[in-house]
Amino acid sequence: PVEGSMPGDVSCVDEILKEMTQSWPPPLTAIHTPCKTEPSKFPFPTKDAQHSSFNN
Amino acid sequence: VISTDLSSPVVPDYIVKYTAVVSMDQRQRYKDYFNAEYDEYRVLHARVESITRRFTQLEARCRRFSPGTEEYQEAHKEVLQEYKKMKQNNPNYHEEKQRCEYLHNKLAHIKRLIADFDQRRAQSWL
Repeated sequence: PVEGSMPGDVSCVDEILKEMTQSWPPPLTAIHTPCKTEPSKFPFPTKDAQHSSFNN
Repeated sequence: VISTDLSSPVVPDYIVKYTAVVSMDQRQRYKDYFNAEYDEYRVLHARVESITRRFTQLEARCRRFSPGTEEYQEAHKEVLQEYKKMKQNNPNYHEEKQRCEYLHNKLAHIKRLIADFDQRRAQSWL
């Protein structure tokens, strides 16, 4: 998107920085193995904290 | 998913394709789908992350100097150089970033379905 701008142009640099520093969420973690046997005594499932935050 | 028409938002394909998990077989299948794309996702994610980090550092540097000073000019020049370098090393950066965002949302969706299933299952054992 910033192609064609004059090198050294301040607005061009601002645009690059704006584009390239957009917040980036931490990576999703892998899925745990399913428990094939009985669950442990206190099967408190931890709620998945990952949210998709890409929708602008 | 990119939709320019706000009146009819496009439903991502994975929302339609992957529905509530109701059996252990289905859970395993969904997990396999997740794993099949997880490595690609992690590689893309790490790449975008490191580039984002680099430019965030450069931005912080730019902010430290007042406009008009030589340091300010230097910092700005470095942003342009870094951007050029990034384009050379990663000509498909924008496509890769988009692909990574898509995979993130898709895998998060599948993971959520599995987590919901696990939670329901755990509750039924209580």
